[in-house]
Amino acid sequence: MIGYAVRRLLMLVPVFLAVSVVIFLILHLIPGDPIDNLIRIGSSPAQREIIAQRYGLDRSLPEQYFIWLGNVLRGDLGTAIVGQRPVSTMILQALPYSLALGGAALLFSASLGILLGVIAAWKRDGWADQLIMGGVLLGSTMPTFWLGLLMILLFSVHLGWFPVSGARNWQSLVLPVLTIGLAGTALVARVTRVAMIEAQQRDFVMLLHAKGLPRWRIHLGHVLRHALTAVVTILALRIGWILGGAVTVEVVFARPGLGTLLIKALNQHDYPVVQASLLMLAMAVMLGTLLGDLIQAALDPRVRTAMS
Amino acid sequence: MTISFRKAVFAAGISFAALLQAAPSAFSQEMTIVLNTNEVGAQSYNPIKAPMLNTATAMIYDRLVEQDADLSFHPHLAESWEEAPDGMSWVFHLRKDVKFHNGEPFNAATIPVWLELFKGSDNAYMAEAIDKVEIVDDHTVKFVMKQPDPNLLYNLSSVFMSVPEPKAYAAAGDKFGVTEAVGTGPFKLDTFNVGSETVLVRNEDYKWASPLSKNAGPAKIEKLTFREIAEDSTAFLELKTGGVDMLLSVPNDLLGEMKSEPKLAVLTMPGREVAYMPMNVTAEPFTDIKVREAAAKAINQEEILAAVYGGVGAVADTFLISALPESNVDPKYKIKFDPARANALLDEAGWKMGANGVREKDGKPLKVSLWAQADTSFKRLAEVVQGQLKAVGIDAEITIFDSSAIRDQYKSGKQQLAVRSYEWDNADIIDWFFGGDRLGYPNVSMYNDPKAEELRTKAMKGSKTGEERQANFKAYHEYVLSQFPFAPIYQPVVNVGYNTERIVLPEKIRGTQIGAVTMMDVEVKE
Repeated sequence: MIGYAVRRLLMLVPVFLAVSVVIFLILHLIPGDPIDNLIRIGSSPAQREIIAQRYGLDRSLPEQYFIWLGNVLRGDLGTAIVGQRPVSTMILQALPYSLALGGAALLFSASLGILLGVIAAWKRDGWADQLIMGGVLLGSTMPTFWLGLLMILLFSVHLGWFPVSGARNWQSLVLPVLTIGLAGTALVARVTRVAMIEAQQRDFVMLLHAKGLPRWRIHLGHVLRHALTAVVTILALRIGWILGGAVTVEVVFARPGLGTLLIKALNQHDYPVVQASLLMLAMAVMLGTLLGDLIQAALDPRVRTAMS
Repeated sequence: MTISFRKAVFAAGISFAALLQAAPSAFSQEMTIVLNTNEVGAQSYNPIKAPMLNTATAMIYDRLVEQDADLSFHPHLAESWEEAPDGMSWVFHLRKDVKFHNGEPFNAATIPVWLELFKGSDNAYMAEAIDKVEIVDDHTVKFVMKQPDPNLLYNLSSVFMSVPEPKAYAAAGDKFGVTEAVGTGPFKLDTFNVGSETVLVRNEDYKWASPLSKNAGPAKIEKLTFREIAEDSTAFLELKTGGVDMLLSVPNDLLGEMKSEPKLAVLTMPGREVAYMPMNVTAEPFTDIKVREAAAKAINQEEILAAVYGGVGAVADTFLISALPESNVDPKYKIKFDPARANALLDEAGWKMGANGVREKDGKPLKVSLWAQADTSFKRLAEVVQGQLKAVGIDAEITIFDSSAIRDQYKSGKQQLAVRSYEWDNADIIDWFFGGDRLGYPNVSMYNDPKAEELRTKAMKGSKTGEERQANFKAYHEYVLSQFPFAPIYQPVVNVGYNTERIVLPEKIRGTQIGAVTMMDVEVKE
């Protein structure tokens, strides 16, 4: 198991390098100059040169890349061009908000999604199944931006239960979590249902039935455990997705977080901030995938042996 | 099992509702303001170094000079001032009763230390013309100038020339403006949650508000929260549900919604923005001044005001906002809708009306490109302008660029026409957008004319006093207008939305926007 984990970790190194090149290049190849945002009306053209030099923007692209990568590996994410503050501080300030939102949303989608999936599989093709799957379809197709505004209208404006926006207390976390979580719930419910239905047709399940175990015990004790391998992988993959996918939700609910940071920095072409936040999101996806693989390996010995 | 589940949900709901009861606040005079969307994202309250500052900055710090709504200058930390006739020195008499939030006195000794901080910073140019500061007595300073700067009062009234406490500034280093911000303003920084909200508490010792405020101090509001909400609909819903008390900017699209709410009101403030259509004077057919004048006079500003902006705001007929004295040019230079003149000029220039309604010259149709940035209001504006140009036989094709990429496109110099806007309240904006050394961007018109450059230098560097500067800029403005490198279109207003059940505003709003001057007189209904 440890050997497997180490091998998977080592595989992340080339992935990390490739991702860093892509992030760096995309940003520098699209048009738009960060200095334009720094030069205020009235400042002289000489000021422009000074600023370009200060941020190394006057150097060649490969030079800029290696300087950046070297700094990142030493843990220095640079100074924000427009924000004029250390990028690592900005990220550290935003991260807890993103983690709270992402974590709560993940927990919410996992618990509700698995519950719904189990019910749908249990009552397969019955009205409960159809109702759940219908809701799942709706939940997964509704744009989060729109869903967020609908949530505000219903729960804040009409019912007055939750604040419209902000991040002051746990109440303000509820609507954003519901908004992001619903799409995830839909996904988890579908995967759980399919995996359970598939598992029900396995020979070992037939054997359990033949042995005379009650249906619910077979379902929850054996079929679900088998199906969870697939669900866990999906959940782990969603860690990265939830952090990145929270962008629109953070904007609608005016929450600080990695998403808001990224959007603002993108609009201002603040390269160091965009690079660092994209790198964070990419790392979240990579670590999520790694986590998924490790959990899968822990749950299922066949995965471990297949790798070695 | 179903019943017990229902019961459980019900019980959970009840306890949940109990938890939702908000804790009562310690302050009765408490107000929450949503910042203007274009101020979202300010990273610090360091007036010396920050490239971007928001309205809350003006509450924490005071300035030597305050500017009123009519753009005139009034005393604040400086009680009075005298300018030498040759513009080479200024004497400022400072207030004697002022102290910083940390108890340090504000006096003549503060000034040279403060101005020294600007050296080498991004905002250095604001104090560039000052050679040195002489301390005349405890409360009098003399600025010795490198060259006359009639724009000095404007700079001194800018939020970037807010006065921080030098000792605290030096001690806090990079953290100044983030974890602490020490000024002499009517409010003290309590907490700053970057990108989200700023909480200010009243400075109980404050008694030196500018004479523009009725209340000399302390402020009536005890706790003032500024929130950053990038999404307009969210901000509106916060105001509607009472989550906040005031929005510093309400987009025109939401004005109807605002007015249908009985407890909400909209206060219209003069804006600092002008929408205009630059024409690239180096690109055919706009190398011909007749074609430029024709295109400018084909623009029906009144129709645009009504069709695109719902009648909110004002038309523009010069390059500057109407509040600036330099916009008061000789009427013959004002650029106004005149379709007959536009058609006659195009005929004269050899562009004859073709069968399909598009003019032609030497077999070539009068087809041009019209650029705009990807923003709903600019797209709509571009479409109306396109229709108006078509009416005089100019076929404009619209190209939309991403708002962050369009400046790079301008730098290519390939543009012909564009619709865009700027936000500024000083005549030196003409220098910024038409200066011959800034071709492409900001000089989208690629305008570089020897006569204009001469007038520009005179306006920027050759003025000793305020009056002289005004006259020089007016002459420069008039000449640029006569050359038609652009067509003026529209001047938006700033719509401030507020809750009338909670907030009492002073009868007359002084200052250039809702800022510290107004906040001194604002009250919360109890």
